[in-house]
Amino acid sequence: MSLRLAERQRALAKLAEILLNLRNQICKLGIPLFMAFENVGRESNGGVWTDIFIECGNVMRQQHIDAGEAWKKVIKKMGSSIPLDESDWQVLSDFWELLGKSDRENQESILEMEKENLEMLEKKAKEAMNTKGRLYRNLGVLSGAAAVILLL
Amino acid sequence: MERQHDRIESLNMLLSTYLPDRIRKAVKRIKEHYLNDLEEIRIRSGLPLMGVFSGSDYFISEEGVLSHSSQSALIVTPKEVNSLFLLLCEQSVYAYQDDIIRGFITLQGGHRAGICGTVVYDGDRIKAIKDISSVNIRFSRQVKGCARDIFQQLIRNRQDIHNTLILSPPRCGKTTILRDLCRLISQGLGNDSFRGLRTAVIDERSELAASFRGVPQNDLGPRTDILDGCRKSQGIEMMLRGMAPQVIVVDELGAMEDADAIRMAWNAGVRIIATAHAFGLEDFKRRLGVGQLAGKDGFERIVLLGMNNGKRWAKVMDANGNEYSALAESCRMPDGFCRMRGHGNEYVFEACRETACTGKTCGNSS
Repeated sequence: MSLRLAERQRALAKLAEILLNLRNQICKLGIPLFMAFENVGRESNGGVWTDIFIECGNVMRQQHIDAGEAWKKVIKKMGSSIPLDESDWQVLSDFWELLGKSDRENQESILEMEKENLEMLEKKAKEAMNTKGRLYRNLGVLSGAAAVILLL
Repeated sequence: MERQHDRIESLNMLLSTYLPDRIRKAVKRIKEHYLNDLEEIRIRSGLPLMGVFSGSDYFISEEGVLSHSSQSALIVTPKEVNSLFLLLCEQSVYAYQDDIIRGFITLQGGHRAGICGTVVYDGDRIKAIKDISSVNIRFSRQVKGCARDIFQQLIRNRQDIHNTLILSPPRCGKTTILRDLCRLISQGLGNDSFRGLRTAVIDERSELAASFRGVPQNDLGPRTDILDGCRKSQGIEMMLRGMAPQVIVVDELGAMEDADAIRMAWNAGVRIIATAHAFGLEDFKRRLGVGQLAGKDGFERIVLLGMNNGKRWAKVMDANGNEYSALAESCRMPDGFCRMRGHGNEYVFEACRETACTGKTCGNSS
């Protein structure tokens, strides 16, 4: 359990990093979304997100659908490999619907807003790890000690 | 036959990539021999779907039946127009915002989608077009070989050409001729009469090469470098510095600074092939700035284009207006092309009267 909390925090931090790269691809270079997804998936050592972004780009390219729809499809298929809570997915879901639908200026605001959302989630994940993580660790140690006592 | 097949293939690719479901099905149901004449699809929010076939407008029903009456036509919904717009932008509006501001998006295959909606200003500058209300998809077709006869008159020797200005009123085929001239200059004639030259194209409006994600969709020859979307004056300077071209090709001269840039190219020993809207040589000479380029020490060959009774004609002259040759009968442009451009003849006729059409070439061709 403690390990999953740490993975959750790492996944959120990695997503924030990827969004920074995505912002550059969208706002500075003006690369279409499906290519930008594929690029960030390949380039930025996306960790657990690599396959998700590459697949999202593929789905958009092949099915000519928007980012929101593509994201939903891919997460439904591959989301279980990402250690996020249901509440995290809910916070993240609106963002993808807005991607690609407006000019660079507007996309920049959307990405900025999402960055703030991610920072908030990351903060919560860190707090959870500090409190629940310690609890799970202590529980583990105590259970181990109890097992040893019983065996003796 | 092969050309027709390629065209249908290209059309099918375009339809399946960009058009919303209902519109795509309706267009696909049109009989093939009509589809071959399809030049434009006009999609307007809340209005009937329309196609332009060899210059004539027809409404298209859901079953793909063509009619002059809009009663049975497929009515396009605002949602479909919005969905089409997003598909044209590859679901990435920001990536096409510069094109959108110019009023069109270049599509794969060199086709083009014109866009109408509500214009948003930021001071004097157009910032965006929102609430897209209509889209006009225009199918491009390159007419290879249409400038071959004209080109023979522009050759100085086997490794050099004359500085050339192509003049005509709108819709007389300037850009089509320029595109083919560019291809011939770059490619050469395949015999020893003319070797190809290093050619640079400043494609300010993306009409010559019709580049899509940096890849030219039209064949401009093997020795051609393309600067896409760049202003002519800046582009000429950049090409001179960076690419060492022997010939620079530009479309639609007009701005004051274009004249300075062209002189700069001439001073560097580079030949220029350019076009301009004009009813004739005298009309062009009256233009501020660029008009002086047609005088002494300026363009050495002037090509005048016009149309009479749907038939294309061309004249090649020296800088003083002395005629070298008159080429009637469409300069090898195919019938379909003539019919297409024949649309709107009244305007061309008016222009013809004011241009060299008063000369014997036009009389002959009519």
